[in-house]
Amino acid sequence: MMNVAGLAPTPDTGHELRAEIRRTSQNARARRVLVSRVMMTLCAVAITLAAVPLVMLIFELLQKGIPVLDTTFFLKEPQSPTLLSPNATGGVSNAIIGTLALSIYASIMAIPVGVLAGIYLAESDSKLASVLRIVSQTMAGAPSILMGLFAFSFIIQDLHIGFSALAGSFALAVLMLPVIAISTEISVRNVPQTLREAGLALGAKPHKISLKVVLPTALSGIVTGVILAISRAIGETAPVMLVIAGGYTDSWKPLDPVSALPLTIFMNAKSEWPSLRAQTWGIALVLVAFVFVLSLTARIWASRKQKVGN
Amino acid sequence: MSELVESETSPLGQPRSGGPVAMRLENVAVSFNGRTAVRDATFDVTKNRVTSLIGPSGSGKTTLLRALNRLHDLTPGAKVSGRILLEGTDIYRGNITVTELRSRVGMVFQRPNPFPTMTIYENAVSGLRFNGIKKKAILDEAAESSLRAAALWDSVSSRLKVTAGQLSGGEQQRLCIARALALDPEVLLMDEPTSALDPIATLHIENLMTTLKSRVTIIIVTHNMQQAARISDDCAFLLMGEDRAGELIEFDATEKIFNNPADSRTLDYTLGRFG
Repeated sequence: MMNVAGLAPTPDTGHELRAEIRRTSQNARARRVLVSRVMMTLCAVAITLAAVPLVMLIFELLQKGIPVLDTTFFLKEPQSPTLLSPNATGGVSNAIIGTLALSIYASIMAIPVGVLAGIYLAESDSKLASVLRIVSQTMAGAPSILMGLFAFSFIIQDLHIGFSALAGSFALAVLMLPVIAISTEISVRNVPQTLREAGLALGAKPHKISLKVVLPTALSGIVTGVILAISRAIGETAPVMLVIAGGYTDSWKPLDPVSALPLTIFMNAKSEWPSLRAQTWGIALVLVAFVFVLSLTARIWASRKQKVGN
Repeated sequence: MSELVESETSPLGQPRSGGPVAMRLENVAVSFNGRTAVRDATFDVTKNRVTSLIGPSGSGKTTLLRALNRLHDLTPGAKVSGRILLEGTDIYRGNITVTELRSRVGMVFQRPNPFPTMTIYENAVSGLRFNGIKKKAILDEAAESSLRAAALWDSVSSRLKVTAGQLSGGEQQRLCIARALALDPEVLLMDEPTSALDPIATLHIENLMTTLKSRVTIIIVTHNMQQAARISDDCAFLLMGEDRAGELIEFDATEKIFNNPADSRTLDYTLGRFG
């Protein structure tokens, strides 16, 4: 059959090809839908598996913790139960005050140094800065018992300062330092270069720009990092157990022996008195509440940052 | 001086309007780590006129503009050669500090960059505060007059205490203009100030430039040839050379550049044949 050039009808092959494409993609789509369903189910199973222990933990914590919380628990110093009064455990006011004192003193030591170090890391390209960066990253990953050992050998053995809140907060400060420095560095680096240029173009000296532009802009990120560092330090047992001597009396004095909530959990959990073991759950609940409040505060600060950064 | 600067004096450097010169560029070249980004820039910026720098991407417009208030100083490996004179003073080697220069030669950037943690008022007076001015009366007056000059006062005077992030993009850019104007600069550099803005906000800024030129000499980099034609009095056309370095092709009154340029490449570009 003769065809006029350009008018040749080729409907059949075209339709077949199109049908083939439709058919194949239909099958492929059906397969993808199936795979997707299977994967979603697996994800749901995984998240349930992850959530179950957590929910159980919180449930047990509330169930066993709430009953031991009373005014004695919060306001009284601990007592040793005796055979005649096996339930006379006293309270844990020493550990609550100790934990607060430790975190306050540790913050006083770690925040200024950590923030300034972070700013230095962010603003300097020197060799020293890159060495310090590696050091702080390594320190941030180091096991926390190391800080306790260091505080023990430096504060107690070398400086002859006794077992005390100071020694414990020193250990915690060393623990917090790299965390604060790294998060400060990241926040400062995240301040857009265009803002620095805007400052420069207005005739500002570099230190003025750091102080008046970069730092305020990075502040919410820095605060978030600081709060997370504190909430990490609050829950640590290892760094303080070697150096605070677990004092039984309430004291805010830096040179007194103090206790701490995690340390008290550790001690009470080993006790042969059921009443003390029961008290452990209350302490754990208070500790979790502390950390929860801190994390919540950190989240609120972090969301503030996003609002400012738009 | 650098071998990048060609010794031959270009005939381009004549003042076109015959008016007083705010800034004079003589064989200005900028290089980064030895690679020339722009060269051969020789022209006079006349006072109280708008001078536009046009040309395709990579022709060195922004690089050249940033040399005019020494923003390259902090870039490692950046080198500016040739001479840039502000009222006859060499801004790189003359008797002028970089902070003084920058308070006399203001800058507005491509994207609005108000300081996000500062209020509108604090943004407007930030340049004055950076330069040590603390008297509230002076700051208040400068805030109002610069915001008025940037055509922003009427819409923000009742909310000077809110943070700058709450303004629209166009308002933020006008705030950045106000911030630069508060220092009462002689020259205002604008690096594609409307490229991130919508047409209405762009129109606002363009109108603003026309009114502002009576008080400040404006040098503007723009990608938009219609914009250059609408608002500028003089125009410098730059083009990327064979070695990928930008160079000044032609400098003249805007009207001449667009209607009767000396170089055929200028005509091709303004007619939209490339770029």
